[in-house]
Order: sequence, then structure tokens, then C-alpha cells
Amino acid sequence: MSTETSTGAGARGVRDARATAPAARPPRRRGAQRTGLAAGVLLTPFFALFTVAMLIPVGYALWLSLFTQKLSGLGFGGPRDVFDGFGNYADTLADAAFRDGFRVLGGYVLLYIPIMVGGALALALLLDTALARARRLFQLALFLPHAIPGLIAALIWVYLYTPGLSPVVRAMHSGGIGFDFFSSGGALPSVVNIALWEWLGYNVVIFYAALQAVDRSLLEAAAVDGAGNWRTAFSIKLPLIRSSVFLVLLFTVIGSLQLFTEPLLLSNSGSAITSAWTPNMYAYAEAFQLNDYGRAAAASVLIALTAAVLSFAVTRIANRKGASA
Amino acid sequence: MSRSWSRSLRTAVGAATAFVSLAVLTACGGAAQAPAEGTREHPVTVTFWAWTKGSQQVADEFNATHDTVKVKFEEIPSGGLGGYPKIANAVKAGIAPDVLSIEYPSLAQFVSQGSLQDISRYMTPAVKKKFLPQTVQLTTMGGRNWAVPSDASPQIFYYRKDFFTQHHIPLPKTWTEFRTAARQVKRAAPDTRIATFFPDDPTFFQTMAWQAGASWFSTRNGAWRVDTSDPATRRVAAYWQGMIDDKLVSTAPSYSPEWTASLKAGTTVGYLGASWGAGTLAGIVPEEKGKWAAMRMPSWDAAHPSVGMSQGSTFAVSKNSGKTAAAMTFILWMATSPDSVRARVSASTSTALPAAPALVPVARKAIDTGFYGGQDLYALYAKAGATIDPHWLWGPTAAANNTLRDQLHGVIGGGTTLPRAITTTQSATVAALRKSGLKVEDAS
Repeated sequence: MSTETSTGAGARGVRDARATAPAARPPRRRGAQRTGLAAGVLLTPFFALFTVAMLIPVGYALWLSLFTQKLSGLGFGGPRDVFDGFGNYADTLADAAFRDGFRVLGGYVLLYIPIMVGGALALALLLDTALARARRLFQLALFLPHAIPGLIAALIWVYLYTPGLSPVVRAMHSGGIGFDFFSSGGALPSVVNIALWEWLGYNVVIFYAALQAVDRSLLEAAAVDGAGNWRTAFSIKLPLIRSSVFLVLLFTVIGSLQLFTEPLLLSNSGSAITSAWTPNMYAYAEAFQLNDYGRAAAASVLIALTAAVLSFAVTRIANRKGASA
Repeated sequence: MSRSWSRSLRTAVGAATAFVSLAVLTACGGAAQAPAEGTREHPVTVTFWAWTKGSQQVADEFNATHDTVKVKFEEIPSGGLGGYPKIANAVKAGIAPDVLSIEYPSLAQFVSQGSLQDISRYMTPAVKKKFLPQTVQLTTMGGRNWAVPSDASPQIFYYRKDFFTQHHIPLPKTWTEFRTAARQVKRAAPDTRIATFFPDDPTFFQTMAWQAGASWFSTRNGAWRVDTSDPATRRVAAYWQGMIDDKLVSTAPSYSPEWTASLKAGTTVGYLGASWGAGTLAGIVPEEKGKWAAMRMPSWDAAHPSVGMSQGSTFAVSKNSGKTAAAMTFILWMATSPDSVRARVSASTSTALPAAPALVPVARKAIDTGFYGGQDLYALYAKAGATIDPHWLWGPTAAANNTLRDQLHGVIGGGTTLPRAITTTQSATVAALRKSGLKVEDAS
């Protein structure tokens, strides 16, 4: 258990500082007073930032979500802020567009996660076999897309998807494949493809690092017992890096909830993606296109709650599996 | 551990309090009214946000010719690409500039958000007389003036003269003729289309409806009357649905790489645009100089042609401004002085039609129409501008545009049709307006 979490915690820290909180154990109290003071001094910058960048905005969002703006008559007198209780939450939940956003996310996760986790595992196992040559080169090549900011990546893919412009679409057409990336049916695969391109290499690196930590003597013992490469991969390596797999799952699920940049760009470039395609886009449209900040805040809070519940569920399952191992 | 917690918490709370009070102080700072003019030593400086072509040159020209009021210009992204959220947030934060550039379609929304100042005091009858009456009407709401018209933007049809001549395609004066011409274009070159129906920009369709005499929003007895599926709109919807179904027009998004690529390749030989579009087009395909020409937008009634207005911008004073008088000095200079128009038109490639007819000859003299074979664009614009249908008013919500935009995605993807899209838009718009507390009359 302990070696497993330690390989995971490093990667976790890289990706999301908040997630380290539950993993960190309070230091044992030795020479209590002094250590407490030092910890206080060292932690203050973190808590100050945490307050300014997290707690206050979250508090403000909660506050905003309880109010709505009301106009009267023709509306040229300007709006009044009115306390609305949980009205914004009720309206948001009742809005089919918001619920459809979660349906889209569901489809996205169902399509994306199997390909992502399966693909990353397969590539990591390939890299880990004795057969692989030029490991560093492949690792770098796989990781490189992740170094490109999501926005830029989306712009590049928009270009590659645009009919009449993209060499890829042209080649597909001359090969008899008439797939339209911008059609309503093509929207989901188009977005999944961008996400895969961006994140596959990253997850390969996580899996590969976990595989490197597998005790070599175990592999030697397996070889002595006559296990081939396949048998070693499925019966020894995979079970040993299970916690990394759960970690990647957790991040992917939460990351999916935040799906925003890529579909927004596609939506502005002629794709069939609508303005409230994902829940985050719904919140964005409510705030910045429709000026309904209360509704946007309520939607954001609901998204955050969903993320919290999902994270909790996935960690619980992961821990139970880990403990039983 | 717990002690350090409470200490840092207290520090954080202190810092936060400081931040908040600072923000409150800055917000209050703008409230006092500055004098209308400064002195040569201490001029009043007004800030100005816009994205329209030539704005920098206009601000420079103003600064060169004025010493008691100075302008600080900042270019922002265009409204649909983040400019409007930026303005809305700045107003909310109390840091909006004095002068804002806002397009007609979004004006009512900013007014109902309480973001703009009532400038009726400055819009005297003598001032109003300087502008095309339709543009004054579009900036008047609830009997008060909220903005000064900058340009009028009558619809104009741009076409590849060489292509039309080569294939002997008669220029379409009506929409029936346009459909015939579209078929002829497709027959002459199967990959080529006469023009593009822009599916990403709901105002493209709205302007088409406007031209046909639709009136989506109107105020009557202190209530908004909403009718996005009136007979005129239904007629336009059926027409364009037919054009899309028969693949007689392209459906690339407006100003997208896909659209520009087709212009460059010569597979799109027309552009359903507006007065300001001439400059845009010349900037996109400079190599096609001399091949393009402009004409009146085809109309529904050849005997009584009318047009709608595609976008077009106005100048308004933000709620946060404490320098209304100085801001209005700058705005009225921008909208009515020959110097301003000369700076805008000659320093950039803007072909905007000034909303003040007296300035049209100035723009006409300043513009280089070589791209259009030396055609007298402004004579055409002025004639078209006079026929802008006066019945249109933009609504106080973005819900109509947003719903229509999403529906248009479906129209192109095949999930819905234009006639269905306008009924969906009607119900969504009425619901949004009711929810915001406005009085609404559902005309459907």
C-alpha cells in the first residue's frame, strides 16, 4: 500500500495541489511548540493564497447564487438585485439545457475513458517490455502534445477538422471517407480525439513510472516460473499498478467535468456544438452572454458539488480495492 | 497546528478585508462629476474602448486637434469574441471606460443591464437632425437616448463581377432572381456557390428578416411585444431553408478560415454583407483586386426595395463615467466631424457608412475603391441607407440571439429547420424576458 501511494502522490502533486490534502498525514508531534510555529510560518503563504484564490471566490459564488436580477416595465430603469433563495438552483436543475450538458458529459466519459486508459496502459506496457527500443524518444514524443496549451491544441485541431481547409479531411474524402467533424454526430468524437491527443502521453508517463517501480525480482521470478510477456503484463504488472490506474481514472473523471475550452472553440468555428453543450459552457453562457450571474453561480456550485461527490466515490472505491490487495 | 490555522486565517481575513475596502473605494472614486473641459495644462482625459477599424487613428486625430479634452484609446476584442463580456465585467467592477463602442444589436441589453448613461440631454433636436432617422430610432429606448450612432450599415451584396460576366449571369435584384442566379452559378461551376448563409451569426438571419419587414421586438403600452415568427420572418425562413436544402449556398461560418479559403479559391463568388464589409473583403482577398463589385442587396419587392442593417456600431457613455460632458464632446466629434471620418476611412480600410449623411461625401473622397474597380461605393451605400426599414428594434435580451444561434447549428446539421428554429426562438425569448421581470406580450 505505502509504495503504491507514494508513486501516485508524486504525480498527483504535479497535477492538482488540492488533491494532496487528503493524502498528507499530519507530522508527528516532536518538540511540539517550535515545530508548530515553523509550520505556521511556512503554511501562512499557502493559506493566504488559498483564502484569496479559493475560499473567497467560492464564498462569493455561493452568495451570488442566492440572488437574481429583476427588471420592471420595459427594463430601461436598470436591474435590481433580489434575494431569490434557492430559486437559481431550482431553475438551473429544471433547465433541460443544463441536464443535457451532463448527458453529453456522460457520453464523453463513456467514449473517452476506455480508449484513454486502455491506450495509455497498452503503450506503457509496451515501453516497459525489454523489447522496446529508444524508450526516451518515445516517451518524449508521446508526452510532447501535453506541453502544448489546450487552447492552442484546440486551434490546431479546428484547422484539421475544417472542411475545405484541412488536408486530413481532404485526404479522407479522396479515400472515400465522408466523416464530418463538425456535424452533430461528429462533435463528440472530435472533442474526444483532441482530449486523447492531449492527455494520452501524460497518462502513459504516469503508468510507465509506476511500472518502473515494480520490483524487478518479481518479474525475474515470473520469468523463471515460465511466464511470458503477456502473462507477466496481465498477472503481475497490471495488478501492481492498480492504484495508478485509479488515480488516472479519478483525474480523468474530474477533468471531464471541466470540459470547456475545446468545445467552446469548436462551437465558435462552425461545429454543431451548441452554447450550453457541457455544464461549464452553460455556466459561461449564462454569465457572459445572458448576463445572469446568479444562475451562472448556481450552475458552477452544482458542477463543483458533482465533482466533489464523484471524487469521493472514486477515492473510496480505490481505497477499498487498495486495502483488500 | 490549530493555532497557526487561526492565525493565518486571521491574516487572510485581514488581507481580504483590505482588498474589499480598496475595491469599494475605487468604485466610489468615479462618482463625482468632472468639469466638461479641462485646461490646456490639465486636460480632462476620457478613456475609450472599441475594436472598430481606424479607432486608434480617430483618437489620435482628436488628440491632435483638441487640448482641453484628451482621449486614451484601448483596443478590445470584438463584441462577440469577448469584447462584450469584458465590458459587462468592467461595468460590474466599476472600472469601465468613459466611452464604449457598442453595436446596435446589443445596445438594448446593455441599457437594461443599467450599464449606460441616459444622454438625452445632449441629444438635442439639432444634434439628432444630423443623423439618419433610422439610426436615431435604434438608439432611442423608452423615449430616452442611450447612444450616438456611429455608422449605418445597410445590407449590400458583393459579387465577383468577372465570374458573373463570364457566365452571363444576370445580377439579381430580387430574392427570386437571386435563387435563379444561385442555380446558374452552380451549373456554371459545380463546386462554386453564389454566397454564404452564415449559420454562426444569428444577426445574419435577423437582418434578412428585418429587410423583409419583420419586427421581432416592439414596445407597446409599456410592454415588450415579441414576435420572432411573424409572416415576414416565416417567409424569409422558408426561403433560406430552400436555399440550404438545395445546396445553392454555402454554410461556412462568417469570417472563418473555411469561408476565406473558399473566397481565395474562387468557390464563393458573392458575399451577403453590409457597407462596412467592403473593407473587410478587400483585406481578405487583396489579390482579387478589380474583380469584385458591389450592388444593392436583392429585395422582396423590386418596386419598393428596402434593407436591414447588419451590425453597425454606436458610441455610449458608461454608467461608471464621471466625465459625461467631456465624453459627449468626444463622441459627438467622432460621429459628426469630417476630421474624424477622414481619419477613420483614410488611415484604415474601413468602409463604414457614417450615420451622419453630411459626412458621406467626406468618406467618399477619402476612400480608395480600386478593389472594386473604382466603383462609387458611397453613392450606393447612401442610397441603400435611405431605404433601411424603420420598424426594427433589437430586444433587451441575448436570449433571442443565443437560442437562434444554437438552433442554426441544428439547421445546418439537419436536426431542425429554419421555420422550426424561429418558433423555438419565440418561446425561449418570451420565457427569458418574463423571467427577468419584464412585461411581455407574446405575439405568436
